Amino acid sequence: MTVRAFGDRAFLIELEQRRDPALVARSRAVADAWEARGLGPAVPAYASAVVRFDPERTPYADALRAAEAISAESLALPDAAPGALIEVPARYDGPDLAETAVRSGLEVGELVALHSASTYTAWFLGFMPGFAYLGPVDPRIVAPRRAAPRSRVPAGAIAIADGQTAIYPADSPGGWQLIGSTDLRLFDPARDPAARIRAGDRIRFVPR
Amino acid sequence: MQDAGRTAALRSGIPPAGPADPAAFAAACALVGLDRQAAAIEVVGLPFSFSCDDLRIVAVTGRDVRVRSRTRLPSWTAVVVRPGDEVQVEGSARTRYAYVAISGGIALPPVLGSRATYLPARIGPWPAALATGDALPLSDGRAPTERAGVRLEPPNYAAPVRAVPGPHADRFSADALDALFALPFTVSPESDRMGTRLAGRRIEALAGELLTCGIVAGAIQVPRGGEPIVLLADHQTTGGYPIAATVLSTDLGLVAQRAPGESLQLVRVTAAGGGR
Repeated sequence: MTVRAFGDRAFLIELEQRRDPALVARSRAVADAWEARGLGPAVPAYASAVVRFDPERTPYADALRAAEAISAESLALPDAAPGALIEVPARYDGPDLAETAVRSGLEVGELVALHSASTYTAWFLGFMPGFAYLGPVDPRIVAPRRAAPRSRVPAGAIAIADGQTAIYPADSPGGWQLIGSTDLRLFDPARDPAARIRAGDRIRFVPR
Repeated sequence: MQDAGRTAALRSGIPPAGPADPAAFAAACALVGLDRQAAAIEVVGLPFSFSCDDLRIVAVTGRDVRVRSRTRLPSWTAVVVRPGDEVQVEGSARTRYAYVAISGGIALPPVLGSRATYLPARIGPWPAALATGDALPLSDGRAPTERAGVRLEPPNYAAPVRAVPGPHADRFSADALDALFALPFTVSPESDRMGTRLAGRRIEALAGELLTCGIVAGAIQVPRGGEPIVLLADHQTTGGYPIAATVLSTDLGLVAQRAPGESLQLVRVTAAGGGR
C-alpha cells in the first residue's frame, strides 16, 4: 500500500498493481472510508482510490495523515455490500462478434453462451459518464483492445476487451471489441443518480 | 455556465467540469460577493456582450480581458452596471477564457450537485453554450455597491507553471523526469477544456502496464508517443496513462489560458502544500 502525492488537492492511495476482484472491492472500501470522514470525494478504480480534499478546509499535512491512516487500515475495512442485480437485454449483433469468436476458437453461439452465462460485477465507473467496467469475462474469450479505436461507437453497444465487458452509455470514440447491443438506457442526466449502473452492482446479459 | 465543479458524481464517471481557469473564476465571484457554490459565466470566444434588467455589481476576469459599457471599465474589478446598460467583454488573441460574475449569482437549480455545464454529455441546468438572446435568471438581493472599485491583481499568465512530481514519477527515468522540467514546451492547437497538449519534446515512460486509476485536473499525463497532456476541468474521471507530475491547483489557469504556439515552462516543486 502506498500513498502517492497527486498535486496539492489529492492523493492516490494505491493498493497493488494487479487486477483482482478482491482489490477492486477494497479500493471501493478505501474510497468509502475517505468520504465517510467528510474530507472530500474519492474515485476508486481497479486497485487504488484517488482521494480529494480542499486545502482551504483541510491542511495538506492533515489530509496526508488521514490518507495514510486509511491506507494502513485498508485490509481491515469492511467489504462494501453487494449492489443491485441488473439484467441487460442483449442482442449479440456486434461488428466484432464473428472475429472475436474466431480468435477465441469458438463458435459464435458458444461465445454468446459464455458471455451471457456469467454474472459480472461492476468494478468501477470511468472513461465517460455512466461507463461501468464489468468483469471478469470468461478467459476463453480472447479480446484485446482494437489496434485502431473506432471514432464512433454507438450508445448501447456491448463491448469486451482485456477480460472486461461494458456497455457504451452514449456515442463515443472507443477501442473495445463490439459484440452486441442493448436498448437499456445507461445514462440520463435528468435522473439522480444519472448512471444506471453503480460500482458493486451485479450485471447479467440476457440474450434476445 | 460554470460553478466550482461537480464533484458529487465523479464515481459515475461524470467529469468535474467547472472553470478552466479556477483562479480567475474565483476572483470574479469574490469581487461581486458570491459564495463558493455560486455560478458565473465562462466565455470561450470573445467578444461577448450582455445586459442586466436591474442594478448589479459585475466583475470580468481572465487573461487580457477588456470591458466596455458607456465608457471603458476596468477588468478584475467590481463595477456597477445600471439596468439595461450593455457591457462588452473583449480580449486579445491570447485570451482563451473570460469570466463574468454578476452579484446575486445565477438562479438555476443545481443538476447532480452542481450548476457547471459539461457540454460533451449536456449535463447541467444550462446544458448548452449560451446563444445570442438567451436570458439567465439572477437571484434577487441588494447589489453590494460598496464593493465598486475593489480590484484583484491578475496573475502573470506567461509565468512558469509549478508541478509536483507524481503520482507515477517512478514510471519515468530520472532523465525523462528532468527533461519534463528542463526546457519549455509549446502549446498545441488541439488544446481544449479537457486538456492542454504540450508539443515540442517527447517524454518516454518506462515500459510496463499501468492500471487505470482516478485522476484530477492538473495531472500531466504522458500517453504513448510521449507528448504530455495537462488535464483540465473536463478531464475524464479515470485514466490509464502514467502521470509524471501534477500542476498545482493555483496554476491551472496559467495552463488553460496558454494560447496555441506559446511556450510553457514547467517548474518542479517538491512539497505540495508546503511552498505556497
